[in-house]
Amino acid sequence: MNRCLAFAASALAAFALPAASHAEDAHKPACEGVPAPLPAELAGWHDRAPLNAAKRADRIGKATLSIGQGADAVLVRTADVKYVLRPEKPGGSVSYGGLFAFTAEQAGTFRVALGSGAWIDVVKDGKAIESTAHGHGPDCSGVRKMVDFPLEAGSYILQIAANRQAQLPLLVTRLP
Amino acid sequence: MRRAALALFGLVALAVGTAAAHPQAWRWDIPAGMAAPEVPADNPMSAAKVELGRRLFYDADLSIDGTMSCASCHEQKRAFADGNRTRPGVHGDPGRRNVPGLANVAYLSPLTWADPRLSTLEAQSAVPVFGDNPVEMGMKGQEAELVRRLSKDKCYRRMFRAAFPKERGKIEPATVAKALGAFQRTLLSYASPYDRDTLSAEARRGKALFARHCATCHSGANFSDGRFHAIESEVAPSDPGLAETSGRAEDRGKFRTPGLRNAGLTAPYLHDGSAATLGEAIRRHAFAVPAVNQLTAEQSADLVALLEALTDRTFASDPRFAYPERFCGKPS
Repeated sequence: MNRCLAFAASALAAFALPAASHAEDAHKPACEGVPAPLPAELAGWHDRAPLNAAKRADRIGKATLSIGQGADAVLVRTADVKYVLRPEKPGGSVSYGGLFAFTAEQAGTFRVALGSGAWIDVVKDGKAIESTAHGHGPDCSGVRKMVDFPLEAGSYILQIAANRQAQLPLLVTRLP
Repeated sequence: MRRAALALFGLVALAVGTAAAHPQAWRWDIPAGMAAPEVPADNPMSAAKVELGRRLFYDADLSIDGTMSCASCHEQKRAFADGNRTRPGVHGDPGRRNVPGLANVAYLSPLTWADPRLSTLEAQSAVPVFGDNPVEMGMKGQEAELVRRLSKDKCYRRMFRAAFPKERGKIEPATVAKALGAFQRTLLSYASPYDRDTLSAEARRGKALFARHCATCHSGANFSDGRFHAIESEVAPSDPGLAETSGRAEDRGKFRTPGLRNAGLTAPYLHDGSAATLGEAIRRHAFAVPAVNQLTAEQSADLVALLEALTDRTFASDPRFAYPERFCGKPS
């Protein structure tokens, strides 16, 4: 498996990937309680506000992520989620998931950073956006998985699936 | 694969194969003339069992936290391999060995990289689900929880009754393993350019090289002799290979010859996934096959072309093997 990647845009796999992917997670460096420094685009990771996931798309309004602002997402039981499209790797009945909305004000590459290896899809008009790279965050940052998506300006749904617990640190940010 | 079978691929028949040691017929989707795979006498094939096994294969409730199914590591688009060197388990334990593809796994025995005791798919399925060396799906000691999860689903109860009428639909680890085994035996792949005899000139040259230098071990229709070999002189202390189960020093570094079906989709390669490309995998055989050192760049490319031609891309998208669209008639 790929070992934990030092953070750098170039450290992300530079090839087309499916719309979502589980990042690997075998390397666990010894962290000593000192948060790792983060690049500017992930600055919002350490300043997270609680945000409940929506169970279905028609009730997603309150589950809106602000670009660059981290969230301590609160997910729901997988069985209670009505996904816009079936995740490629759905979680079991004992896992957690949910839906979030976000808006890309300008076209660009957007990075979804997670504190777990949950499965994610970024969905527009019922179709999953193909991701362009994935990888880990910096050692000891708490960012376990990052997936990049090339997005046009517009509204999107972020689907989370197969998370092992209800809590999930989460950030959507636009890359410079 | 026998040449006759290759030549006849265009006439692939739904050969009626009689599963060994039982009277029940199962229509194997294999080239005409090819022998059907052996099936355990206590686990005859049936459509209901395959359907159940397919659902179970994609169900993350087979892992302790609901995050990992068989398909999490065995991805159809990668011919049921993984794409990573190794794969961590649900608790983050590092994986030890590369996830193999599953094409024609019905014909392979023993299974896995270095355990000759695992001769059936039914036995093998316990390794990822209940094993702890390393922990993969994390269900060791959680057999009752697995039964509880499946039993609470009305559709599962119906599917188990249909698949296991003699067992009265009993939901237990043994029937789960049997269903998974039945589904995996349907993962048959015989539509590569090699099978269709549509090789490029490069791959044809590679085929001749392969026959000379590789086919002793990578033999038969699935390019594996099913035996254990050491291809490198260095043995990582973390993984002694066959010696781990045999206890014999001479088995250190020996791993079962992997099949090469769909090699173009199953990177990375070797038991630890440490060869990123087919070319690198070939070069890493130099200890066992010294002729590798004498290959020209063109010859290496020819061998790679042959290996790429073993790839059946229809297998990687065949809807019969994909996540089921419906369970018990309802959208999944």
